[in-house]
Amino acid sequence: MAQKTVDTTKRAVPFDKANVPGPKMAKPVKAELAGKIISKAKRPLLIVGTPGADTGLPEIIKTFNSKSIPVAATGSCLKALKQADVEATYVNLHALVSYLKDPKWKGFDGNGNYDTAIFIGHTYYYASQLMSTLKNFTTVKVISIDRHYHPNAQMSFGNLNDDDFRTALKIVAAQL
Amino acid sequence: MVLKKGRFIIEDLENVQINIGNITGAEVEEEEKEKEKKEAHGPTISPGIHGLRDWDRRLLGRYEPVYSPICDLCCYCTYGKCDLTGNKEGACGINMEAHQAREAMVRTITGASAHAGHGRHLLHYLIERFGADHPIDVGPSNIKAPNTQTVLGIRPETIGDFIPVLNYVEEQITQLIATAHAGQEGSALDFDSKALHAGMLDHVGMEVSDIIQISCLGFPKSDENAPLAEIGMGLIDSKKPVLLVIGHNVAAVTYIIDYVEENELIDKIEVVGLCCTAIDMTRYNISAKIVGSMAKQLKYIRSGIPDVIVVDEQCIRGDVLKEASKLHIPVIATNDKIMYNLPDRSNDDINSIMDDLVSGSQPGVLLFDFDKIGELAPELTLKMAPIRKEKGYTALPDDEEFKRLTSSCSRCGACVIACPQGLDIDVAMSDAAGGDLTLFEILHDKCVGCGRCEEECPKGIPVLDVIEKAAQKVIREEKGKVRIGRGQIGDPEIREEGRNLVLGTTPGIVAIVGCPNYPDGSRDIYDIAEEMLKRSFIVVTSGCSAMDIGMFRNEDGKTLYERFGGRFLKGNLLNVGSCVSNAHITATTIKVASIFAGRNIDGNYEEIADYVLCRIGAVGLAWGAFSQKALSIGTGCNRMGIPVILGPHGPKYRRAYIGNPYDPEKWNILDARDGSSHLMEPAPEHLLISAETKDEALPMLAKLCFRPGDNSLGRMIKLTHYIELNEKYLGELPDDWHVYVRSEADLPLAKKEMLLKILEQEHGWEIDWKKKKIIKGPFRRPDVSFQPTNVPRLCKGASV
Repeated sequence: MAQKTVDTTKRAVPFDKANVPGPKMAKPVKAELAGKIISKAKRPLLIVGTPGADTGLPEIIKTFNSKSIPVAATGSCLKALKQADVEATYVNLHALVSYLKDPKWKGFDGNGNYDTAIFIGHTYYYASQLMSTLKNFTTVKVISIDRHYHPNAQMSFGNLNDDDFRTALKIVAAQL
Repeated sequence: MVLKKGRFIIEDLENVQINIGNITGAEVEEEEKEKEKKEAHGPTISPGIHGLRDWDRRLLGRYEPVYSPICDLCCYCTYGKCDLTGNKEGACGINMEAHQAREAMVRTITGASAHAGHGRHLLHYLIERFGADHPIDVGPSNIKAPNTQTVLGIRPETIGDFIPVLNYVEEQITQLIATAHAGQEGSALDFDSKALHAGMLDHVGMEVSDIIQISCLGFPKSDENAPLAEIGMGLIDSKKPVLLVIGHNVAAVTYIIDYVEENELIDKIEVVGLCCTAIDMTRYNISAKIVGSMAKQLKYIRSGIPDVIVVDEQCIRGDVLKEASKLHIPVIATNDKIMYNLPDRSNDDINSIMDDLVSGSQPGVLLFDFDKIGELAPELTLKMAPIRKEKGYTALPDDEEFKRLTSSCSRCGACVIACPQGLDIDVAMSDAAGGDLTLFEILHDKCVGCGRCEEECPKGIPVLDVIEKAAQKVIREEKGKVRIGRGQIGDPEIREEGRNLVLGTTPGIVAIVGCPNYPDGSRDIYDIAEEMLKRSFIVVTSGCSAMDIGMFRNEDGKTLYERFGGRFLKGNLLNVGSCVSNAHITATTIKVASIFAGRNIDGNYEEIADYVLCRIGAVGLAWGAFSQKALSIGTGCNRMGIPVILGPHGPKYRRAYIGNPYDPEKWNILDARDGSSHLMEPAPEHLLISAETKDEALPMLAKLCFRPGDNSLGRMIKLTHYIELNEKYLGELPDDWHVYVRSEADLPLAKKEMLLKILEQEHGWEIDWKKKKIIKGPFRRPDVSFQPTNVPRLCKGASV
């Protein structure tokens, strides 16, 4: 059966209406392209937030595991991810963005800092505010494959309904 | 008798006053006293902006500022707007980092000013009413004003002694805000040092405010058995006339309560409060009732229950007058911080004011005369109640209207996008149209009552009113109890518990403070408090958090205040009071340094803060912090060496202070015995950080209680809680538990063998299994005589 398609670049406006940071806002990205960019990153890190432990998402996150993309479990999603057999490392998101901007940090595996941060399953306003640290003070490429448009990412999906979101994630996973 | 400089009034000669300027002998005596005091003082009496800069740089060197801009532009001067994205410089030369640090500093100063302004107002009023010589009485304490003493080296005895204290705070605030002007400071780090200065000043301003009201207004004085007050919308008898007071400054409200009592109106009228004024009026008179925290403001006004509203200052919605006018609720503004463009009727006759308010010809008045407020507010309430009740004023829809409104929702999602919490209002609306109110009943507690949803609804649905109507069943059950603010922790309590705290056998103090902008409802802070109390932490609370903790009951119908004692002792829950009572939290750590450790606190801020950072496992949790005051309170805690965790809205404050545990250069500490430098565990790991959920915050609270000065028993207890909370809420052992192990004696007893195996197998440590001892592995061994310090001058042999 052919893969269902979805346009993830529609409705690319901040989910929280007033969350307009400035002239530089995320480029809306198609799911296929997001997947390709992630697959080509040298040191990618998937960053999962607490709502990311929702039904269905751990299966997608496992695909990242299978492609050796490390998973950072932020907030309190670790328990649910572990129960779904996802390999992940707990880290506080606020601390993580601090580490990501520090050239001295060697990453979770000791092999160096990350060049691409992929966000999925976050409390919207929390992730948005911390993406702004990465946007303004690092060269880390931030790709949001979350359900809502994140202006502080470099690339982001638009605001998606639940069905389109899950379809988009499958498209991303297929490209890894 | 020794004559001093000053003003003298001769008894029975009312109009005769003698002003004495200079008396040589007295001057000399005063000077000698001052000299003696200075000799006994630490090095920073009334420090200026740069006075504690070295300490700040020590803190910020370890806990690096992490900025999270909420806006990438600078709109500060007419050069702009400037786009600072990517840390670019604007036209004035300031870059994004420094601009963010400045923005956070300005907000910290704003918070400090609000408390200091509050304190100044109270001081003027209380001196006028009670006299400058009115003695300070905070309960059984020799150290009456710990923050004041530590910052200024002053030991106040009377309320008048606080005049120079506030003079100092106000001068410093002026100097600080001056640095925010374009073309002043250009360094992010120095802006942060200034923010820390503002935070410290805030704790002095708060301390003055609370001590003088405790001393003059008969509030509980270090009273562990302070009585329980009633709280909750479900407790208000809406059949009676209802007088609602909102704000933080209780001065005017005391006149209302006195009038109600003197005129035997207590059973005839409900005097209820929102926000910190509510807490403080129960400290004044237990018959007053608390509606709840700030989040209930708009909800309660819209219910139409209040017949009159009295406002004072701070955290009061800008639309109170507009909302009240719609329901014919007269508003009396009593403080020049909030005047709502109302006419000043202070010099008018009460009856004429009453007539204008009852008729509605004026929606509200400005009234600065407390005697008039005392009489007018209750009498007006009695007059308004029958008029309003007859007309049935309420913003809440009736059943038919409710059905129409919920059915008219097109589920466009505009309300969800507007909601600060992103609540599923559209789904709840749809459920309610089908007759299911469950989701709305859940949303009622999660809703912070801001009303942004209504501003965006294209159908004009009054969303907040719909939520409140749907949640009536839940609201009727909102009946709690809160122990009224006890004030300071007394010296005897410190003597009893200080040792346990420093050695770590009491695992820590968790201070749950701040506003109700909770990410997932108020239940979270009840759950957090309960978990930490059961684990024998001392839980201290204040303000809106103190109220919300009291809103929930266990299966036996008891609130946490009824289940846990109010003494400064492990496993006790202490409500220190209102927002300004937060000064007692830093004060407690100062007292421990003084009473338990015998440190000189006078003008000795750096040494005391260093002691707190190294020894006292205290951590703040501002889970729903929204205000500038919450930021200044937290920043003041930070300068005193107390870490603070914010909820997920916290990064909107724009900066945090986060430690990098992987960088050994950051974690060197000195041994004061010989000045030798040692690598230590990251304890505490962060100074200001946020958490996403309650489940994440809980293990963080335990972790941030680690201190380099912990003895082995204390470390074992703290590590036990950290590991258990991590396993319970995050599902596994924390990945950094081993860095807090200095010897086998630090290991939790129940897990000792298992943890030793992990240390050997996963971390390559050498274990003597016969003796169950760690032979090799930890980078630091425990040493009971170790004297940790971050300040070189405090080391033996250092040239001061």
